[in-house]
Amino acid sequence: MSTTTTLADTGQVPRRLRTLVRRAERQHFSRMLALMAPSVVFVALFFVVPIALFLFRSVDNAEIPKYMPRTVAEIGQWHADDLPPEPVFRALAEDLIALKGQPEAAVLGRRLNYAVPGFRGLVTRTVRRLPAAVPHSAIDTLADIDARWLDPTYWATLKQQSGRMTDFYLLSAMDLQRGTDGAITRVDETQAIFLSLYGRTLYTSVGVTVICLLIGYPVAAVMATAGPAAANWLLMLVLVPFWTSLLVRTTAWVVLLQTEGLVNKVLIYLGVISEPLSLMFNTAGVFIAMVHVLLPYMILPLYSVMKGVSPVHLRAASSLGAPPITVFRTVYLPLTIPGIAAGCTLVFVLAVGFYVTPALVGGPGDQMIGYFIAYFTNSAVNWGLASALGAFLIVVIAAIYLVLGKVVGFDKLKVR
Amino acid sequence: MRIHTMIATAALALCVSASMASAETITAVHNGGTVGAAQHEAFFVPFAEARGHTVVEDTFNQELAKLRSQIETGNLIWDVVSVTAINEATACEEGLLERVDWAAILDLEDFKGAGGFGECGVPNNLVSGGLVYDADVIDPADAPRTWADFWNVEKWPGKRGMLYRAEQTLEVALMADGVPPQDVMTVLSSDGGVERAFAKLEELKPHIMWWKSGDESMQNILSGEVVMTFAWNGRVATANKSNDRNLKIVFDAGHVSGSQYFAIMKGAPKLDLAKELILFSSSPKAQAQYSRLIDYAPANAEAFDLLTEAELATLPRDHLDKASFQNGQLYLNFWLDNGDTLLQRFLRFAAQ
Repeated sequence: MSTTTTLADTGQVPRRLRTLVRRAERQHFSRMLALMAPSVVFVALFFVVPIALFLFRSVDNAEIPKYMPRTVAEIGQWHADDLPPEPVFRALAEDLIALKGQPEAAVLGRRLNYAVPGFRGLVTRTVRRLPAAVPHSAIDTLADIDARWLDPTYWATLKQQSGRMTDFYLLSAMDLQRGTDGAITRVDETQAIFLSLYGRTLYTSVGVTVICLLIGYPVAAVMATAGPAAANWLLMLVLVPFWTSLLVRTTAWVVLLQTEGLVNKVLIYLGVISEPLSLMFNTAGVFIAMVHVLLPYMILPLYSVMKGVSPVHLRAASSLGAPPITVFRTVYLPLTIPGIAAGCTLVFVLAVGFYVTPALVGGPGDQMIGYFIAYFTNSAVNWGLASALGAFLIVVIAAIYLVLGKVVGFDKLKVR
Repeated sequence: MRIHTMIATAALALCVSASMASAETITAVHNGGTVGAAQHEAFFVPFAEARGHTVVEDTFNQELAKLRSQIETGNLIWDVVSVTAINEATACEEGLLERVDWAAILDLEDFKGAGGFGECGVPNNLVSGGLVYDADVIDPADAPRTWADFWNVEKWPGKRGMLYRAEQTLEVALMADGVPPQDVMTVLSSDGGVERAFAKLEELKPHIMWWKSGDESMQNILSGEVVMTFAWNGRVATANKSNDRNLKIVFDAGHVSGSQYFAIMKGAPKLDLAKELILFSSSPKAQAQYSRLIDYAPANAEAFDLLTEAELATLPRDHLDKASFQNGQLYLNFWLDNGDTLLQRFLRFAAQ
């Protein structure tokens, strides 16, 4: 006790030692940082930044302020009662005249059409028909071109969407809309599809994960305990489908599962069934194909964890008189939880993003959210909505991860 | 010996590159699959051979985003693209395609049947979706003649194949409800038209088996999963040929027909060569060859004269008055304004 006090309080040696240790640690740390730097920079540049940029699009409202600067400036004066005054009409006419013959007119039209179907046609038609100079009465001119300009809905939408940021896409992704009075309401019943898609995506993914676990756990356990030759064969059987392209495997299921397909023919031949089962274009088909595609992602992490479980523990438990069930429940299962957690996370995250397989073997009631993210990104080029849909998916996955971490323990979620 | 071989190879390489000096490379995209194969064989290969140029090919599945990203980044990888009417109109409006006055180079009269020229593109072939049945299953003497018959599940029991998409399917529903093909777009775009189409679809819904790709439409009827289907004529002819089957398409019931267009990317550096390729592909000879390969109607009406009666059997030449066309201002404006909304509504309807 007394010696420690002397060492800490006085004397050159301990202080120099402390400095030396600190310096060594600093050097070690900076070396580590230097080694990590390339991967950190890579992840930041090619992963974090693009995702952040794309997510920003879910609130970005660039088009309207950019292409309608005069209208945006004027429309603030109007209080969304009746019709806007002449200066607002004039501003809009000036904005649209400036877009004459420009491709931006179509881009603006497309953006406005998201909010009110038909707005695109209204904008392109008006741009085409407006005279080159701003007319003396903008109200009359615009009303002459299209009577819809006398409908306050279009103006109220413009006013609402005039900010630099918008909540339009995020609301749409939740089947919500902001009325012209500013209140948030559900969208029309015939249009509300996204919430049910999220529900179905989660339900399918959880179901597939559970089935994969139930099938994969015994397989991995057998692989881990089998002799080296048998284990190699089993590993090959797991890996060969894993290396085959997703599309090929899914198409193979189409051939197998259709009404006149192999599975039905064999079952009828064996007399198990008399009428062909409908295995495709329904939820059963989606589950069968997705479980098959994702099973290796469950088996491989389980296998690697199970390989590390020493048989000595199991033997010790048995020799102390524990029946097999108890050995499994109190020794094997707890030791393999990291594998279960890793496999389930992997399968679940991959399943959430699936859309090719459900599209090919599923029915109209089996589409998943990924299909729409791809549709709005590639075909409809509505990147705002695509990123809003993606943003919610990220939030949902993060929430599930947090809940899982709280229940199982974060340290167990790591693959060791 | 080895030295000699090297010198010879180098000399050969020099000769080849010298002779290629006048030859240029152009990148053209097709629609992939059987259509892409026919475009490759009827247009790109003969063009490369006849003019001594190299045509690099790529596949485009109508993802507008791919055109947009090339224009926005200024990194053009394509010159000539094959697009649907709706994408031709959108991409042209948004400045992704080059505006070309095709009427100054080609004869408009020849292309009227295929909807005439777009502001950017030239129609290349006409895809017709119609009522298809298997003549080995249903006796042609007692076969369906109208879309109302297609809806009649009492007389012809069994599943019906339909396209899993609002566009085309809503048009067919209106024809089944008694709207003449040429009035379909007028009715659909008027008040209550969409409701009417959905109500008609609702009647058949329990019997519908939706298909998402042309391959699937044929698979379902060939395997007997469906007894009748809406399908594209090129697919029908190919299925008949490669499986030795007897599928019939009933154009007189009314059909939904639309042109595929060839167009040039905005700012394409090889504008003249691109035009040359499109002109070549629009010639009656190339067009007839294309129709022989895939059985979609040529957009250039003169090509019909080069085809035999047998080759004309699955082409809608004499039934163009029975078409709801997928072009023209009415069609384009309706689907550009309402396409996304109707797709969502349709998918919800189909899932319920």
